[in-house]
Amino acid sequence: MHLQIRRLSKAYGTAWALRDIDLQLGSGECIALLGPNGAGKTTLIKTLAGLVRPTSGEILLDGVKHSGETARRIGIGILAPGDHLYDQLTAEENLKLFLALYGGDKRAPIGDALASAGLADWAHEYVGAFSSGMKCRLSIAKWRLLDPRLLLVDEPYGVLDGAGVKLLESYLSDVCRSGGLVVIATHDVGRAAALCSRAVILKRGRVVFDEAKHASWDSFFCAVGEFAPRGEAWPS
Amino acid sequence: MAFLRQAAWLLWKDLLLELRRRESLIAMFFFGALLLFIFNFALDVERAKATEMAPGLLWLAVVFCGTLGLMQLFQPERENHCLEALLIAPVDRAAIFVAKACFNLLLMALVEIVVFPLYWVLFSVTAWDRLPLVFLYGLLGTVGFSVLGTLFSALTLSARGREILLPLLILPLIIPIVLATIRGMDAILRNAELAESLPWLNMLIAFDVIFLTAGILVFDWVVET
Repeated sequence: MHLQIRRLSKAYGTAWALRDIDLQLGSGECIALLGPNGAGKTTLIKTLAGLVRPTSGEILLDGVKHSGETARRIGIGILAPGDHLYDQLTAEENLKLFLALYGGDKRAPIGDALASAGLADWAHEYVGAFSSGMKCRLSIAKWRLLDPRLLLVDEPYGVLDGAGVKLLESYLSDVCRSGGLVVIATHDVGRAAALCSRAVILKRGRVVFDEAKHASWDSFFCAVGEFAPRGEAWPS
Repeated sequence: MAFLRQAAWLLWKDLLLELRRRESLIAMFFFGALLLFIFNFALDVERAKATEMAPGLLWLAVVFCGTLGLMQLFQPERENHCLEALLIAPVDRAAIFVAKACFNLLLMALVEIVVFPLYWVLFSVTAWDRLPLVFLYGLLGTVGFSVLGTLFSALTLSARGREILLPLLILPLIIPIVLATIRGMDAILRNAELAESLPWLNMLIAFDVIFLTAGILVFDWVVET
């Protein structure tokens, strides 16, 4: 899968959330989307998912202009902690519902997916009773079952414990290894540097840094130091 | 087939959520019954007059109850951004629309099953034999109301003051449906010739088909907007 973003801009009223974004993303890449609050990370994630319509510019998925239809055909997942799960359905019912909507195999191992996320004992509990970290684990189990080709992850680290982070990173690595594309919007620069193969830094809606990982990622850390707001706890 | 399967799963989800949340149906039941009790106390009418007034009063109750249901229709999707989850899924958006409209129709039909006989009892209407036909007209009117209401409920999903906006948008648009339903019910209750009620029945069916087709066609645009 190849994703091409051309001069993408998005304005909310008179405020520009994204301005002239040009990016090319390919299969197997794990991209860290970094930047301070208000940089446009979430807007870019939602635009890639087809949930936000750009003001100008275009996104091409495998050479075809991005629309709700192409997005649905390719299979896009958003992993946002606490989001996209029904509170009054049990963990198992949530997975069953989305599996059915994605046309998945009815005999798919829902129990195994829950067990791998450490939620085997919670299969029949309502999601509304889950903590944020447990909901995030359930989301990981959900996307493991649904197997999207493009996975968009929005600030996952804040709610997960150590084991949850390992679970997430192992899953994201699996997606990349199997030829999927992962985009993670995060503030956790250390984890992003360890996991991702490429970093894109946004500031006020513009790409100010875009580089693949090298043996030493000095320029990346220089860029983080340069573009992070004064006093923010980003490594320099 | 995929369309129907997806719609069925979404309807199953909505029914399960309603069973557990019990937010819409109970409120609709009580509101409908309460309205009829108020009408009964406020309007001191004799039996013949009560039969004459039945279509108008019943539909007033149905429309108010239905609007109450529409306010809650997308509530599960508003929580945890679940609508986004449905929009990125490989689901035909028309399936989302059809499932929601069917769910609302089902809730309203259940309310009507209770409210219509309740009117008969409270106002001592004796024409029990005509109740099934009156219910049929009510159901056909409810189809149009549900379809149109679902569309506007989605349209006002992120609007400020949607509780006010939603009835303001729907009520003028359902006038043809209300009119056809009330006239049809009236003809049935007067025991009029079939020829008198048939045009209203045809009109109701036509409105239902038109609104359903329009809803399926524009729902994609509505949720994208």
